Amino acid sequence: MTGKRLIVSALVLALVQIAFLSWIIAGRAAILRNGTEVLLKVEPVDPRDLLRGDYVYLSYEISRIPVKLIANIPADRAMSRDKTLTVRLMQDADGYWRPLAAWLGKAPAPAGAGEVDIAGHIFRGWNLGADPEATVSPDYGIERFYLPEGEGRQIEKDMRVRPFGIRAAIAKDGTAQIKALVDGDKTLFEEPLY
Amino acid sequence: MARYSARVKSDIERWVEAGLVDAGTARRLALDVEANERGSLSFGTVLAMMAALLFGAAILIFVAANWEAFPRLGRVVGLFVLILGGYVGGAAMKARGHGFVGEALWIVAVAAFGGAIALIGQMYHLAGSEASALATWGAGTALAALALRSGPLIVAAVGIADAWLLMTTMGAFRRFTSIETAQLFVPALLVLFGLSFWTRSQPARHLIILSLIFYVAALAVDGDTLGLSAALAVASAGAFAIAVLAPQAVDGIVQLGGRLPLHALVGFLTAMAIIQFELADTGGFALAAAVALAGIAAAIVFAGRESRGLRWLAYIGFAFELCLIYAVTMETMLGTAGFFLAAAVTLSILAFIIVRVERRMKASAAGGAAP
Repeated sequence: MTGKRLIVSALVLALVQIAFLSWIIAGRAAILRNGTEVLLKVEPVDPRDLLRGDYVYLSYEISRIPVKLIANIPADRAMSRDKTLTVRLMQDADGYWRPLAAWLGKAPAPAGAGEVDIAGHIFRGWNLGADPEATVSPDYGIERFYLPEGEGRQIEKDMRVRPFGIRAAIAKDGTAQIKALVDGDKTLFEEPLY
Repeated sequence: MARYSARVKSDIERWVEAGLVDAGTARRLALDVEANERGSLSFGTVLAMMAALLFGAAILIFVAANWEAFPRLGRVVGLFVLILGGYVGGAAMKARGHGFVGEALWIVAVAAFGGAIALIGQMYHLAGSEASALATWGAGTALAALALRSGPLIVAAVGIADAWLLMTTMGAFRRFTSIETAQLFVPALLVLFGLSFWTRSQPARHLIILSLIFYVAALAVDGDTLGLSAALAVASAGAFAIAVLAPQAVDGIVQLGGRLPLHALVGFLTAMAIIQFELADTGGFALAAAVALAGIAAAIVFAGRESRGLRWLAYIGFAFELCLIYAVTMETMLGTAGFFLAAAVTLSILAFIIVRVERRMKASAAGGAAP
């Protein structure tokens, strides 16, 4: 490759990679700006290390969905496959949003007024049997909260003793994006768009 | 170095004129000189590469620290500047003949790209797995290797692909492992293998073949499937046979510097070790051990002369076989004294064979040169 062509392809390469990264940022900022805002309850998890390096692991009330809420379980009630789980949420009296119904794959009808659909993902191997107590644990892609270095321990400690909340924005396609970490009425970290 | 290759090339021309070598050989010799010249590493080059890797690591750790004193949009823009400056600056250095400074700057740019992916994950609290972030980073690195025709970058891409495989299969950060996604590893390696010809990077090809052997071996161990390890053994033996029967034709295609037999032996020994562990308590063990020993002997007979590395690998494999056979067959019968006796006998056999083989190789090498 001649010198000039090499420099040109380096320039194009750099611009392609920067454009790709900017595209991800723009997509996330769009969800923060336009998404429906919901308040989700963070549940204290078993006493184990929630702090992983630079983030805390979050488990939500909606991280356990009773199987009986899932409307379209296949007739053979086989194990779940690697699949999307759409969960319809509605705001309760205490301000937190809770699941109304859920579907494997997409919801059959759009969410009504005051409702919102969040897209989760379940791995294969969950028991979809008739047991009334059975639950599945979807991931929503919002199970992490990155903290500035050194601030994780205190929050992890508080999280065990009182309920925290996450304010999240949910896009039309169900993608969720964390907006803020709240401790009761106090907002601890509010995320700027960029 | 350039002077050395110029001198050898003028020598080659003289040899062609004198009728010592034919034109085809001369061309291959010249290509070999060029390839080795590109592959040669000077002290300064190594230092430049290490500096680039340290700089890249510093970028990644700086991002991980999530330092609030710096507005994060500032951090993003800083990484974008590093990406742009690294690629374009590296290309400018390379165009001016400072090849390795250029490659080092490209490594920094690729690290900045990976750092930016991590930073965006942090900014928006993305809980997607580390594995998918690594996959994106690896794809970006492979793209850079393609655009810049860079050997070190393709090696970096293979390294990232290996890290991705480990993270996906070991499930270090996940509650569930996903073997299905790991199947993408083989197509990814094939793409990188193709790219390694474009970037003329022999080290990348070596790394890819070793990664592939590791992947198949891990699958075979994980799934307890005798068929898969048997297939690896047969494929390795086949590759070995082809590489030994038509060394020039094969190396013309895969361009591994004549080291395909070595890789084939690594694959064969790995597969046979897995097979023997699986069959340890059955009657099939003796047969498997016999096949392994025959394979090692065949490797030394057919390819030992050309490659000292292959001979030593075969010796190590042979020593391993002796230990394994001993452990499986005699462990229950002999006590500690018996173990020491067996170890002494094993070592003497090994020493005897190695000395004999090495002497014969030396003698035949001397004999081959004399007439």
